[in-house]
Parts: sequence; structure tokens; C-alpha cells
Amino acid sequence: MGANMPDLSQDQIRAQLESLGFAVFDEDLPEITHRVNALHEALVNLDDPEIDSIEPLPIFWLAEEK
Amino acid sequence: MAIADVITRPAAELSRLLHDGQLSPVELVQGYLERIERFDGVLHSYITICADEALAAARVAEAELAAGGSLGPLHGLPIALKDQLHAKGVRTTAGSKILDVVADEDSTVVARLKEAGAIILGKLNMSEFALGGSVQHAFGTPRNPWDNERQPGGSSSGSGIAVSASLCAAAIGEDTGGSIRSPSAWCGITGIRPTWGRVSRYGLLPSAWSMDTAGPMAKTVEDCSMILKVIAGHDANDQYTSKRPSPEFSPIEDLRGVRVGVIRESVTADVLDTEVKGPLDEALRDLEKAGASIEEVSVPLHPVAGLISNAIADAESAFLHREWLRTRPEDYDFANRRRLLATSLIPAGLYQKAQRFRVLMRRQLMATLEDVDILFSPTQAVPPGKIREDTGLTTKEAVVSQFFGSRSHRSPFNLSGLPAMSVPCGFTSGGLPVGMQLAGRPFDEAMLFQVGHAYQQRTDWHERRPPLEG
Repeated sequence: MGANMPDLSQDQIRAQLESLGFAVFDEDLPEITHRVNALHEALVNLDDPEIDSIEPLPIFWLAEEK
Repeated sequence: MAIADVITRPAAELSRLLHDGQLSPVELVQGYLERIERFDGVLHSYITICADEALAAARVAEAELAAGGSLGPLHGLPIALKDQLHAKGVRTTAGSKILDVVADEDSTVVARLKEAGAIILGKLNMSEFALGGSVQHAFGTPRNPWDNERQPGGSSSGSGIAVSASLCAAAIGEDTGGSIRSPSAWCGITGIRPTWGRVSRYGLLPSAWSMDTAGPMAKTVEDCSMILKVIAGHDANDQYTSKRPSPEFSPIEDLRGVRVGVIRESVTADVLDTEVKGPLDEALRDLEKAGASIEEVSVPLHPVAGLISNAIADAESAFLHREWLRTRPEDYDFANRRRLLATSLIPAGLYQKAQRFRVLMRRQLMATLEDVDILFSPTQAVPPGKIREDTGLTTKEAVVSQFFGSRSHRSPFNLSGLPAMSVPCGFTSGGLPVGMQLAGRPFDEAMLFQVGHAYQQRTDWHERRPPLEG
């Protein structure tokens, strides 16, 4: 995924959700679309030189517990 | 002693009166029930009131205390629960239209409260399924006791309201991404998110497993420490609870030698409302007068903490809710339905990236905590807003600024599993509470309690009570 990931359209969002078995109310679709595009864009643009060497363990203290 | 003269006092003070025989648990429960009847029709802090059970437990506690058989400082204290925790024989709704179950056993937190003699007064209102930004509330819109037209914060909304309005002696909340700290700040009370792994999650409805933790919400730091000591500790029913001993409360008044680090990125003019900045600046001066040294520290990922937290926590929640989202979408609050459906679509690569940034966030915080003992930031960067009828998320940019941005003050600590506490530190010019957030090293709640308590010995913000109408 590159930094210029294009926004998804409302029709694309609806199709993706329906493919997962979710019905979509018409009044929800604009906000869901904004949310998806915002989340994607913001995450795509995050970067750090160490990102490939990190092991993403979500429970931190286990490594410290005696 | 007239109940009206004492019922708004902190739990630790009430405990001393109960143990001195100056106050009766039965009178105390009756006093709260009368206040709930009088004020909660507007505030909507309770979902279920356990009046008969609480009175029966109070009579038992009264007899035990009279016979000198104290079970500890919580004995005889009426405590209410966020409706996310199971209590045997009482329904659990998670603030939703969808869930309505009667638990056949206590959650570990509730079992420990009962073993310590606490009286369960009822179950409290909350944002639907602990998701925070609810607009529609199945059990009435929770209202801020300081201004009924404003939000109390979420998702432990009822816990914040009930403590602030003295509708219980103290409450238990739950914090995934700020849900104890947010209502604590906006309702003018003290609330701590303990280190993840400090408190058992057994019998706690999950929101995001790797961030969920229950914790106390009360009027003072001393109250919170008293409750955390009881509910903390290893539980065989939760494999990720630590075996470390519960944190002790060792009050100090002199903060000389304590190093407080102000997170630079949390107090810049572009993120902090001026009405919040004034009280925070004053709080730093008070901590300095108490002997603490104040310095600035940098946590570069702080501004994107809300984004990272949203990507992980909401993806976990969306997975948990997948079947109800398919079969009962109309029964969800529309704001939560949109939020969960959106994060149902997060690509695996981006979720993986968010998890790696979570580790980087932890590293940045742990590095700063090598140089300072406490991290200081606003709990909420803005005062409580008006109760909403819509999300206002009408553009992509609005999602970034309003949704991700507003969560970035609390998210660093739930992402990193660190303890963080909100302490009242003043009011806006309009009379709305402001909270400061103190965060510390893993399992060092004792340091948070020491600094917070020393601050509360020098200030009276925690002694202010909202002007209720009823």
C-alpha cells in the first residue's frame, strides 16, 4: 500500500460490507465511507524506520514479570 | 449524625464514620436511594437499582460492624458498578438494547468487593457496549451533573455521574481507550485506569481484550487506592493477571525528589483549549510548590495515539460484534454501528502496522519514564460539550480531527498498558470541571496515588460538588 492510496467510493464500501454479510443502511453509508477513508489514509501515512523489525506483542508486562 | 450532612463526603471518610459507629450502613443506603429517586430522573446514571438487596446487605454489615467484625475499609460502603460487570442475580445490559442477561455468578471484581463487605447498590449507565461515542442511549441519555445539557464523558458515564452527584459512595468503571478517565475529568471526580493485568477481567464484558481494565472511580485518590487494593491481584480465571501484590497507599505530602514530565505534544496551543490550559498550568505550579520538579518531555507519537488505538481497539470490538451487526443492526446506536462497520473493513496490513506502532508508543513512554517518575497531560483537552444528536462526522477530515484527535490524550496509556489517573484540577470560567492526567510506570500505581494525594491535600477541587436540581 502506497502513500497515494485512493479513497474508496460509497459503492465500494457497500460492496465490501455486503461481501462480509453486513447490510448497510443508506443513511449510514456516507459516514462509514469517511471513517474508512480517514483510517486508511492516516495509517498509510504513518511511518517509522524500525517498523519492519518490531514484533507486535500487545501484552507488554509478560516479558517483565518475574 | 444527619445523613444529609455526610452523604456527599468521600468514601474513605464515610468508611471511618461507619467503623466509628457514627454512621449506619442502612442509613447510608437509604440516603443514596433517596438521592437516586430525587436526582436520577434527570441524570440517568443508573440502569438497575438493587434496592432490596442493598438494604439486606446493609443490615448484615451493620450487625457485623457493631459486633467488631470489620472486613476492612469497604465494609458497609455502597458501591455501584458499570453495567459491564456481571453481578450474580442482576441483569447485565452493557447499556444496549441487545444484551439482557442475568449473571449466574459474580465477576471477580464484584466477588472481591463483596468479600470485603462492600454493598452493591446497582448497575450504572454507560455508552453502548463500552464504545465511548454513543449518541443514542437505551436507558436514557446520561447527563453531566455540572450542566445537564452537557456530556458526562464515556463510556463509564453513569459511574462518573453517580460519584459526582453522590448517588453512591464510589463506583467501578472500565477503561479500554479512556472510559474511566474521560468521565472522571468531565464529572469532576478521581478515577484510575490501573496497569493492564492488575485487575481481573473475569466476568467483565469485553470491548478490546488487550486494553480492557476495570478500575475505581471515586471522589478522592485515597478512595481509589482503598478500592484498587481490594479488586487488584492475580485471578486464576484471568490468565493475564499479574501475581504482583496489590498497590499500597503510603501518603506523602512532600514531593521533593519526584520528577514530573509534562508531555509537550499534549499541551500545544493547537490541541489544548484555553479553558483547560489555565487549570493545568495552575496544577503544575501546585505540584512544584509541593516539591516536585517539573520538566518537559517529548512523546512524538502522542498526536496519533487516538488513531492507533482506534485501529486496534475498534477492530477487536468489530470482530466481537460481527454476528449482532449482521442480525440486529437496527438495535445498535447508529454512531456505534457506523464505527464498527467501518473498522470491520480495516486491511490486515494496516492493522498489523497499527500493532507495531503500539509497540513504538510503549517504547517512547518507557524511555521518558526513565527520566521522570510521572507523566502529566490533560485528561480531556476540551471542556465537556453539549449533548449531541449526531456524530458530526460529515467529512474525512472531521473523522481525523474530532474522532482520532480527541482520543489522543488518553490513548497512549491504554495502548501501552500503563496506569493513568484523572484528578480534578479546576474549573472553566463556565463552571465545568477540568482534570489532569497522571501516568506512571507499569504497576507503579503507588506513585500515582502519592502524587495525586499530595496534590489533593493542597487543593480543594475534589471537594466541590455539583449544583443538583431535583
